[in-house]
Amino acid sequence: MTTGPLSRDALAELRHELRTPVNHIVGYAEMLLEDAADPVFAARRGQLEAALAGARDALALINATLAPTRSDIGEDEVRQLYASLREPRDRISSAITTLLATPDARRDTALGDDLRRILSAAERLGGPGAPRPAATNAPEQPAPTPHAAPATPPAASGNGGSDHPEQRQARILVVDDVADNREVLRRRLEREGHAVETAEHGRRALDLVAQRPYDLVLLDVLMPELDGYAVLDALKGNAATRDIPVIMLSALDELPGIVRCIEHGAEDYLHKPFDPVLLRARINASLEKKRLRDQEVEYLQQVSRVTAAATAVEAGSYRPGALSEVAARADELGHLARVFDTMVAQVRAREERLRDRVRDLRQEIEWARRDSKEFALALDGGNLKTGDHFAQRYEILAVLGRGGMGTVYRARDLELEEEVAIKTLRPEFVSDINLLMRFKDEIRLARRLSDPNIVRTHDFGEWSGVCFLTMEYVEGITVRELIDTRGRLGVSSALAIGSQLAHSLAVAHEHGVIHRDIKPQNMLLDDLGVLKVMDFGVARLAERSTSITEAGLVVGTPAYMPPEQLMAEAVDARSDLYAAGVVLYECLTGQPPFQASSVMTLVAKLLTEQPRPPMEVNPEVPPAFSALVLRLLAKKPEDRVQTGRELEQRLQSLG
Amino acid sequence: MTRILLVEDNEMNRDMLSRRLQRKGYEVTMAVDGRQGVDMARSGRYDLILMDMSLPEIDGWEATRQLRAAPETRAVPIIALTAHAMAGDRDKALEAGCNDYDTKPIELPRLLGKIEALLPGQP
Repeated sequence: MTTGPLSRDALAELRHELRTPVNHIVGYAEMLLEDAADPVFAARRGQLEAALAGARDALALINATLAPTRSDIGEDEVRQLYASLREPRDRISSAITTLLATPDARRDTALGDDLRRILSAAERLGGPGAPRPAATNAPEQPAPTPHAAPATPPAASGNGGSDHPEQRQARILVVDDVADNREVLRRRLEREGHAVETAEHGRRALDLVAQRPYDLVLLDVLMPELDGYAVLDALKGNAATRDIPVIMLSALDELPGIVRCIEHGAEDYLHKPFDPVLLRARINASLEKKRLRDQEVEYLQQVSRVTAAATAVEAGSYRPGALSEVAARADELGHLARVFDTMVAQVRAREERLRDRVRDLRQEIEWARRDSKEFALALDGGNLKTGDHFAQRYEILAVLGRGGMGTVYRARDLELEEEVAIKTLRPEFVSDINLLMRFKDEIRLARRLSDPNIVRTHDFGEWSGVCFLTMEYVEGITVRELIDTRGRLGVSSALAIGSQLAHSLAVAHEHGVIHRDIKPQNMLLDDLGVLKVMDFGVARLAERSTSITEAGLVVGTPAYMPPEQLMAEAVDARSDLYAAGVVLYECLTGQPPFQASSVMTLVAKLLTEQPRPPMEVNPEVPPAFSALVLRLLAKKPEDRVQTGRELEQRLQSLG
Repeated sequence: MTRILLVEDNEMNRDMLSRRLQRKGYEVTMAVDGRQGVDMARSGRYDLILMDMSLPEIDGWEATRQLRAAPETRAVPIIALTAHAMAGDRDKALEAGCNDYDTKPIELPRLLGKIEALLPGQP
């Protein structure tokens, strides 16, 4: 293995590789110490200083061994260096792991992140040939002899082993009915450094095992009353003791007995009188196997904790830092746990940002409501008036609005005792039977949509020749009203609206529902800043009369329609995304992307002109946001953001 | 406030160095590769640039040459940060137009001394 000295370059590289993590540890620890200047943080300072001292010791070792003036450093010496770095590294890891487990580190994610940075830097001190914890590859390995045993991972795993496998002290129970045999074994094993207890018969042995855990049981086969086979069966039949290795002791060296022991779950078999070398070797091998098994069990427990954490993240109940113990591992699982924590911290930060945006949005809504008493709609418009009963089930409370397709009322559902919105449809929309069938299909689909950002569609019905839809009633104002009273909105409010709109589109599109008529009038904001998009599926009815290939343009304005919809070509999810782009443009600039004095000029502009970038109209719009809006407004569907989900993610990553 | 542009691709170095400099009262902006470093240095006003030499896209040597060639960044002091304490590196950095030179791992007091030496006032 020994080769010539390292080249100058390799030496410089190695020095850099080792000094960089040490410097990271020193840097972060010093920063955290500055933060912990207050006397209440004395305990934290103690651990940080321990880590700092560890790092300085490590640096001294590195500098002494890899001095630039030396040119005769061989691989053996490098290995030696790594081995001697293990001790300060363990000190650092253990101090930081202790801190990570404190409530402070769990609460304060910034502190937790910095501690994990220190921990990962400490890990890098292990170097490329760093011993990995054995648990991951234990099952395939034959039981190694203690001297070749892999090092235990930093921070003792707490199952009885010391940090030095070659001197590991085990708790051993010797069961023999002959006092001399017991004493001989006790003395011999104690000389090896083990803690030994004895039992003179099987029943006593089972009592002792039930009281405390042992690492190994040496069990005589031939005993009065309860013999070794019976004790072995009792141990192996109990889940709590099944994993304790048992070595059977017998005066008889005969094959059927050995086979019987192995079949009943004994680890090994020794016959008296004992050969001391063989005894030691077999005991050490058994203990080593047990240690590996314990590690494996611990590993599996930690795997299930990570899995449980994944579930908790999904349910939104995960506390960052809950995996700190697993995160302290040097192997892939530890890496996974650390990635996990970082990920959750990022999600938290994003939620935090979203909350801020919604707060801004709510402020805008409040101002708008204060300014806009006049938005209360005249009640004289519809065919129905306050107090009327409709469809023998609904009491009309107010007219909410009137659009191209009919009138919307606020009503009380007398059967279910709740408020609903009722939209009556003008007869010309429901006279075409084929169209009506298609519309009903669409409503059937839309009824399946259940999401906080989508106004629920309840029912479709007909009464006295009037077709109507009932839906969830949302107390709030439309984005149209918000823009009309407030002018352009703040960037964060626009992001709050945009990401909720994108979310509603993602959900609807994934259910096969295209909205076809996204516009600020169809977007309601409640008092909490929750956006609710209404009329999913409804626009299907109006479809026939919206394209410019037919006369009239009965419904609405084409301002929110992409070229393919204007040209009556195939409409898909990307058409809704175009409309979302127009809405965002208006939110950010207070004006639509195209303005014209007549519908025909507007359509011509829509088909041929490029909109002014939002950031030119409103310099507060960040360039990335501006570019995203322009991409949504691309003339060709394939040039736009392709899905609601993608738009949602892009908006979330802005800001 | 003194504005420093830190051009460094290693995430942990960037995080740590920027935070430690901020604690000393400097305003620190970061770029993650040479191209971004050059773009940012040209479009913003910085009092000093800390430039890692081994960078993706274009390396620190080339970035420094470009900054020295552009009139708006010609006078901004640049401190080169290099990983190896090679004798030739120092000359190479100064030749490329750096005002000073420091080796990694960064020792903050030493680097602060070099920064302060290049800047007329305190942060």
